[in-house]
Amino acid sequence: MIYLDYAATTPLDPAAYEAMQPYLRPGGAHGNPASDHLAGKRAREAVERARAQVAALIGALPAEIVWTSGATESDNLALKGALEFYADRGRHVVTSMVEHKAVLDTCRYLETRGTKVTYLRPGADGRVAPEQVLEALTPGTVLVSLMWVNNETGVIHEVERLAPALRERGVLFHVDAAQAAGKIALDLRTVPVDLLSLSAHKAYGPKGMGALFVRKKPRARLAPQLHGGGHEQGMRSGTLPTHQIVGMGEAFRIAGERLAQEGAALAVLRERLWACLRELPQVFLNGEGAPRVPGILNVSFGGVEGESLRASLPELAGSSGSACSSATGESSYVLRALGRDDELANASLRFSLGRFTTEAEIDQAAEQVVAQVRRLRALAPA
Amino acid sequence: MSATAAGPGVNPFGYSDAVWRRFTEAPRAGLLEGPGTRTGRAATPANRSRLQLQARISGGRIEDARFQAYGCPTAIAVGAWLAERAIGRSLDELAAIGAAEIRQALEIPDTRLHCALLGEDAIKSLVEAASAAK
Repeated sequence: MIYLDYAATTPLDPAAYEAMQPYLRPGGAHGNPASDHLAGKRAREAVERARAQVAALIGALPAEIVWTSGATESDNLALKGALEFYADRGRHVVTSMVEHKAVLDTCRYLETRGTKVTYLRPGADGRVAPEQVLEALTPGTVLVSLMWVNNETGVIHEVERLAPALRERGVLFHVDAAQAAGKIALDLRTVPVDLLSLSAHKAYGPKGMGALFVRKKPRARLAPQLHGGGHEQGMRSGTLPTHQIVGMGEAFRIAGERLAQEGAALAVLRERLWACLRELPQVFLNGEGAPRVPGILNVSFGGVEGESLRASLPELAGSSGSACSSATGESSYVLRALGRDDELANASLRFSLGRFTTEAEIDQAAEQVVAQVRRLRALAPA
Repeated sequence: MSATAAGPGVNPFGYSDAVWRRFTEAPRAGLLEGPGTRTGRAATPANRSRLQLQARISGGRIEDARFQAYGCPTAIAVGAWLAERAIGRSLDELAAIGAAEIRQALEIPDTRLHCALLGEDAIKSLVEAASAAK
């Protein structure tokens, strides 16, 4: 099997795995971080060390990191929490059609509660321009939610340019950075984002762990969505999972250390893959023309049917735009939003490369894809 | 299963074995030419799946058959199965094959019924083309 689905999830980095162990087994570090005895203190120290590690990767203060169960929860907390807290400011949200379902489904829910949501369509390159966002603002706009990096295309939004414009207008800015953290340099000291969602398992940390950055100055406020103990400055109750937190901290520390070098290496591998695939006629790069993260390549193949394309590659663990591979039975809404027709959106593959991807794997994947696309095209009647 | 256990023949997507083998091997895919060759064509609405079934007929019997298909693995398997079944049969015997028999042979679920119907349409088209040429 060739694993090219790092944007879906990554394995734990072995160092993160090791770092988690003492907090799972007997030995004195398994305590509840909220307990006042020695076992609790050890756990608490580990939690705070991890908080500083996660904060360091994004240029935040440790106190601005709120632990959650993952980016889905972070997105829910950011949107629902802000809309509830700032109910007197208005009931309008601006977002994009290419957000992750964690944002889109939360927006749909908010709509049932009376919030108006504007869903912006990206350009053909997959990007929503800052100007589009600013034009969509109304006096009642409470919050803008835009992902830093799109999970399907790897396209990078111009968050640095949009954030100051929103700050100037007094509109809260939430950014889903699940696919950005550890992939591109993020520095929230210079980018005035108010809320930012993070996921551990997209960056070699454990699944079931995430964080929400909540800015202190100027202070972003949220109504908590989980009650029961007042943990995390009252914003997110629940006993802290020390081992998960430590795993995320260590993973983010490593990500920061390797970011530049790893990004460059992945870009080389990705271009190697694209160079092979583009030899085929009728292949289309999704997100072409926009800056993209180094590890993601999303390609549509003309003249092949999507489900057969995916089924032809059983040894390749990638992601497909095919309706049959999605939970909803729809082809990729992201590719549809950037103008691909249903047939091409269906016949798309997302290759996402990562830390353990080798040149040999890339060559094998390219060979298999090229051979199967040719085979399926040859099978088709004229 | 170990991380490296996947190999040729692995079917991780839940297709029936009958569909999977014909999809991956696509026996009798291709074109027939020459005297006695007749062609049937069928498509689903909006051309999402297309099937071409060809037969070379001699002395009232189908001597050879080929298919071409664009569509999901089940549609491709239907083409391969029909080409395989057609050989050695008369046109009447071919015409007797309906969607129900295709479904049963390939273990096609309800959600893929359209693939079996595509096969039935291709047979009808082929039989019509052959009858018209008589």
